Amino acid sequence: MLTPLLERTGATVLAVMEEAGDFAVLSGRTIGSIFRRPFDGANLLHQFQAVGVNSIPVVVLTSLAVSMVFAVQLSFGFKQFQAEGLASQVEGLAVVRELAPVITGLMMSGRVGSAMAAELGTMQVTEQIDALECLATDPIHYLFVPRLLAALVMLPLLTAIAVYIGYWGGYLLLVTTQGQSSVVYSAEFYKLVELRDLRIALTKGLVFGAIIALVGCWKGYRTRGGAEGVGNAPTSSVVTSSLWILVSDFFLTKLLLV
Amino acid sequence: MSVPVIEVVNLSKAFGPKVVLSKVNLSVELGESLVVLGGSGSGKTVLLRNIMGLLRPDTGHVAVDGRIVHEMSREELFETRMKIGMCFQMAALFDSMTVFENVAFALRRHSHMKEKEVQGRVEECLAMVGLKGTEQLKPAELSGGMKRRVGFARAIALKPKILLFDEPTTGLDPVMTDVIGRVILDLKHELGVTTITITHDLKSAFEIGDRIALLFRGECLAVQPPEEFKANPDPVIQQFLRGDADGPFLLDPPPPKRTPKGVNV
Ligand SMILES: Nc1ncnc2c1ncn2[C@@H]1O[C@H](COP(=O)(O)OP(=O)(O)O)[C@@H](O)[C@H]1O
Ligand SMILES: [Mg+2]
Repeated sequence: MLTPLLERTGATVLAVMEEAGDFAVLSGRTIGSIFRRPFDGANLLHQFQAVGVNSIPVVVLTSLAVSMVFAVQLSFGFKQFQAEGLASQVEGLAVVRELAPVITGLMMSGRVGSAMAAELGTMQVTEQIDALECLATDPIHYLFVPRLLAALVMLPLLTAIAVYIGYWGGYLLLVTTQGQSSVVYSAEFYKLVELRDLRIALTKGLVFGAIIALVGCWKGYRTRGGAEGVGNAPTSSVVTSSLWILVSDFFLTKLLLV
Repeated sequence: MSVPVIEVVNLSKAFGPKVVLSKVNLSVELGESLVVLGGSGSGKTVLLRNIMGLLRPDTGHVAVDGRIVHEMSREELFETRMKIGMCFQMAALFDSMTVFENVAFALRRHSHMKEKEVQGRVEECLAMVGLKGTEQLKPAELSGGMKRRVGFARAIALKPKILLFDEPTTGLDPVMTDVIGRVILDLKHELGVTTITITHDLKSAFEIGDRIALLFRGECLAVQPPEEFKANPDPVIQQFLRGDADGPFLLDPPPPKRTPKGVNV
């Protein structure tokens, strides 16, 4: 009665450890290959385009929507004890410290990480990755590295854009509809925010970028089993990277704020 | 005697409980072309993947130029692979790139050619497989036979001394099958390469092969010149040559043969 349960638990734990080990090894190989030759500029540029430039509309829209709805809630909440003035300060704190990096990370794991998993997954099941190997090209170096670099550079930039748009989202709501003075808003928004907070936000962007690219590439590279496998890779990549974004957000916040 | 270019020694490979290859021995001399026949699922592709170092043998080994493939470091493995051109069963072209970029891929990464020379070499390779003027097409716009030939062009770009063809004619019409057979013979004569060709197509097998082998239930039945192979009395070989369902070749008995009048007993 108890033994099969224990056995199954044990098998699951072993499988999870094996997955984690595989991920760690591939990530290590990716980081180790960053400076290897040959350097393929066109490929890297293409990834900058795909990860960064093409993601700007999504980041602008989500950041605008989230910062506006957050401003609505704050202004309602603080109105309960006649402290409407605090809304813009807390809005600034929330946008810079949490909303911008986390929302950007989650959206990018859906937009960029899943695309990486689908692309590499298709390449895996159609033997294109084997073809790379046969053309004496390390798939880790050719496929993983440019995607990781693009995500490492672009996620902090996109986070910065999200902060900037978040400022204007709050402005739109608090100044234009709640009647706050625009001078007060622009002074208050950054009142509780220090330079350190911006640095933390960008660091989070960097870490989330690494998570998104490495998990997306890993799930794609390990795709097995035809169309079904290719279908599962992006889903599984989004779930895994979103989870790790949220978990690492907690630890990053705890570590970097002390 | 010289060292064989490719030597497969006691190669065994199983996936879980399923034994695909057991103790296969083959050797290919310089400039020779070996044809490997075998039913679907008999492990022909697995054999090639072991030669390329894409799979690791369970026991035994594959040696290319006298060096054991699965014991090489990754750098050595890549160096060896540059000497081998692999043509995949489904061509495995990079579908995000044009035909030109596919063929130029290895040249751009591994040779120090200028873009102009790369262009020249790509045109040369495409001409050799009869596909001049397709440079700007995407793989999705090509027919099956054209894809295979682009795959050939990509494999020969770096002037390898070994070419491996995985079922180059399967799924093509008889005319295209003949075209591919001629392309392979051309490549063999013009480049003087050592080749291993996997095929079901007996006609091109006898045209291409200096020696012919038959993989059967994970073992290598005969490795003989075409004439001797045809005359081999082994019932499995004879059944394969006749293309008959009845005989020792299949594990499960085939459905009974029907004549226009009904089931023949
Ligand atoms: N990566 C793999 N994992 C599990 N089984 C495999 C793998 N590759 C091949 N096989 C099995 O090995 C057998 C031979 O495959 P293959 O060499 O592709 O056959 P063919 O001779 O038609 O090319 C098949 O039954 C296949 O199921
Ligand atoms: Mg095959």
